[in-house]
Amino acid sequence: MQSLVYILPEIFLFIVATVLLVTGLFLKKIKLINLLAIFSLLVAVFLILNQPFQSAFLNSFVVDEFSLVLKVMILIGSIASLIMFVSSKDDLNINIYEFPILIIFSTIGMMVMVSANDLLAMFIGLELQSLSLYVLAALNRNSLLSSEAGIKYFILGALSSGLLLFGISYIYGFSGNTNFNLIAVNINPESLGLIIGIVFVLAGLAFKVSAVPFHMWTPDVYQGAPTPITGFFALAPKIAAMGLLVRFLFNSFGEIYIDWQQIIFFISIASMMLAAFAAIAQTNLKRLMAYSSIGHIGYALIGVACFTDEGLRSLLIYLMIYLIMNIAVFAFLLSLKRNDGYFENISDLSGMHKNHPLRTMLIALIMFSLAGIPPLAGFFGKFYIFVAAIESEMLFLAIIGVVASVISAFYYLRIVKIMYFDEPKEEFDGSSIQSLNLLYYPSSILIIIFFIYPSPVINISEYAIQSII
Amino acid sequence: MTAQLLTFYLFSGVILISSLMVISTKNPVHSVLFLILSFLNAAGLFVILHAEFLAMILIIVYVGAVAVLFLFVVMMLDFKTSINKDNILQYIPIGILIGVVFIAELIIVLINTKFDLSNIQVLPNPLSDFTGKSNTEAIGSVLYTDYILYFQLSGVILLVAMIGSIVLTLRERVGVKRQVVSEQLQRQGKIDLVDVKSGKGVDI
Amino acid sequence: MISLAQTYFIEVMTIILYCLLIFVPLLLGVVMALYADRKIWAAVQKRRGPNVVGPYGLFQVPADGLKFIFKEIILPDGSDKTVFLIAPIITLALSITAWAVVPVQAGVVLANINVGILYIFAISSLGVYGILMAGWSSNSKYPFFGALRSAAQMVSYEVSIGFVIITVLLCVGSLNLTEIVMAQKTMWFFIPLFPMFIVFFISALAETNRPPFDLPEAESELVAGYQTEYSGMPFVLFLFGEYINILLMCAMTTILFLGGWLPPIDIYPLNAVPGFVWFLLKVIFVFYLFAMVKAFVPRYRYDQLMRLGWKVFLPLSLFAVVATSSILFFFNLAPGM
Repeated sequence: MQSLVYILPEIFLFIVATVLLVTGLFLKKIKLINLLAIFSLLVAVFLILNQPFQSAFLNSFVVDEFSLVLKVMILIGSIASLIMFVSSKDDLNINIYEFPILIIFSTIGMMVMVSANDLLAMFIGLELQSLSLYVLAALNRNSLLSSEAGIKYFILGALSSGLLLFGISYIYGFSGNTNFNLIAVNINPESLGLIIGIVFVLAGLAFKVSAVPFHMWTPDVYQGAPTPITGFFALAPKIAAMGLLVRFLFNSFGEIYIDWQQIIFFISIASMMLAAFAAIAQTNLKRLMAYSSIGHIGYALIGVACFTDEGLRSLLIYLMIYLIMNIAVFAFLLSLKRNDGYFENISDLSGMHKNHPLRTMLIALIMFSLAGIPPLAGFFGKFYIFVAAIESEMLFLAIIGVVASVISAFYYLRIVKIMYFDEPKEEFDGSSIQSLNLLYYPSSILIIIFFIYPSPVINISEYAIQSII
Repeated sequence: MTAQLLTFYLFSGVILISSLMVISTKNPVHSVLFLILSFLNAAGLFVILHAEFLAMILIIVYVGAVAVLFLFVVMMLDFKTSINKDNILQYIPIGILIGVVFIAELIIVLINTKFDLSNIQVLPNPLSDFTGKSNTEAIGSVLYTDYILYFQLSGVILLVAMIGSIVLTLRERVGVKRQVVSEQLQRQGKIDLVDVKSGKGVDI
Repeated sequence: MISLAQTYFIEVMTIILYCLLIFVPLLLGVVMALYADRKIWAAVQKRRGPNVVGPYGLFQVPADGLKFIFKEIILPDGSDKTVFLIAPIITLALSITAWAVVPVQAGVVLANINVGILYIFAISSLGVYGILMAGWSSNSKYPFFGALRSAAQMVSYEVSIGFVIITVLLCVGSLNLTEIVMAQKTMWFFIPLFPMFIVFFISALAETNRPPFDLPEAESELVAGYQTEYSGMPFVLFLFGEYINILLMCAMTTILFLGGWLPPIDIYPLNAVPGFVWFLLKVIFVFYLFAMVKAFVPRYRYDQLMRLGWKVFLPLSLFAVVATSSILFFFNLAPGM
């Protein structure tokens, strides 16, 4: 009974989800259910902040500083996407009350992922999260693109789960344990079987964070899924999978880091370069964001590849900034709306500043930040990462990173150019979408003021990593 | 050569052959039937290992429920038109490639351990002592205590799968007349039980 | 190899002997059950039923059997011949296999395995394959519809049967069939678990495709359902498989709820009677109920059948599992606590 305290937020969210499920069946008030879901996610944040640090269930589920910070980030992502859902459900044809419930289930899965200290817990958390995401991707039944996204994501996701399981079975076979700490104790540095296992597990996880060469699903799924869900894809699962990756590699295979470092090294470079080049040709904003997130994951992986305190800290800083920037971007995507629907093409933005000067300025700001132009938050994210890479003598990674950001600056800045210098089009809806403003303005402000007052973010990341290293 | 070994070879041989048949028969229904055969033999292997509970659960869940649904779906496919033999050849190179990779891995791993799997250390079993308990009792005693988290989370996964399939497929049709049993039972005064005298009839 | 044969020869022969000891009475039982079924049905409808062949028509069923055996086995032209012929064999083989673990008296059982109840549940869940294969391989509309109906029906009612079995198991604390019977020494389970007894009985009717749930072979809609294209020996195999399954379900009801071979009251003249006689009497009683239901309950419509399975029995049996375990837990009655 005592150990139930350590999974209290998860239990709470599960109870809320089931109660909402039954409520929704009889009370077809989607807005109310959504509000309750947001509220309960906030309560879950509160519960997480007040949890005692401990490991439970045969040390397979760990509650520590790292999991606390990541869980709060994940919950922020979920809340943001629920707010996006409220503002757009009627127009996007996704008037389905299961949406917030599936988001909650997926969030539970992610919370298990970041707390997992065991291969079994890791896999179950991952499956819970992915299964909800498959359904979410295909949620818009009237849209062919959405169904395509769901099917693609499901098939490739199932394949990656298979790879992951294959790797898990190797690791279990060659270390005799599933617990991360026990694997670390039992590790045999010369064992090739373990390395094969790591390779396969990394392949599975790379799929979940959509890193090259397992990124193929990302653009299609991002484009096909309804925008609030795309937002959710970009926000929470990436953070959860990153947390899992870090705990998996650092806790159990810290001793043989030389072996997996090369893999992360390669994945990171490939993601950065591919995203930088492939995004140039995109005309759809959501596809563009897909490549952008692939690129960002590439930068974040540099932090993992370093295998130092510095690297880990910069990774967390990067993830936090990434979260904020993506909330802003997707809120902005949802505000591109006229009475006749949503606009997703870059060309639709042309000349936007004539009609919406304030909004255009904010978008330009976010784009600059994504491109990593000082003094905005995005710059500092990349800066810390590169510094960490140089300090751990991975100069090559840092150089590739800088080159990739220069290339990727092109397509971010092109959007700014189109908004400011091209022929204006029809007006978009005004500030009618109150709930989006809730995401939009705070995140933009955070992006701007980061350079004035960066210490909270740095302190949080310091706080988080103390339980890993 | 004991009987146990003999049954082991029997079961695993049938598993291998039927698995091969699953992917090589042209008729999808036959594929599913061979799949079921290999499930059954896998259950037989569990029995040899004295894991009789797992064996039975394997049959009940996979053969009795999952594979029935497979068969259900596959039977309704119009497979005669959907099979195109020419296409199979084009996948052979990649199939061989993947097969070679996996076999190479296995060989490397086996060479690496020098065919001696005894050097894998397994930490002392963290679970309680199972001596004198039957298979089912032993599983039950840890499943609901130490492994309750996994057990419940697996349940949540199944719930999500159920929600998902309903969300994606349920379409409310309008204008369908449904039988409402409670309404039928509550109708008053419409039905009378009359004792009919023979040869007299009743007034309506 | 020779030494192997020597070592195991006697063992194998004994096993075969035991199997025959089950198989032969079972076939006799089926013959009697077929006869009883027709007689009871006839009696309810104020007919005489079979009364020509042999005394009281007792040889009617063997005569029918002989007729079927000598008939030609017709293989429909478009059918999948292998599957078509395997299907009835599977049905019969599975239904007999399940009897391997049924105890007819304390210690009188071929295989007293730990997970007996799960074994029976597993084997009976396989029964659907014979029907599915038959329906599909006939390559004909009516058998196919029959097979689909039957698969859906059996899978649906298996769920509630599973939960009913769990409620019983909660009271026993073992999966072994002998121990399930011995746990009823003080009270037969049909008294405390009466609603579950009813659910189990009705689900057993559906599971064995008995009327009023015989939609897979509803003659007014589907000719003869999945066995439309069958004739001769394969048809007999289906018939026998079906009746052995019915007898199995009767035996299961007896073991789970009616105290197996235990006498009603543990007093002198009753407990002197050998256990298998009580067992037999109880099985006959349950079979009598089966036959009576067939005689006077009209056939369900398919949607009503599904409604009953999923919307009535499933919630009811789920609730029963929760309620039983809570009661056992809070009153400290659970075995092994």
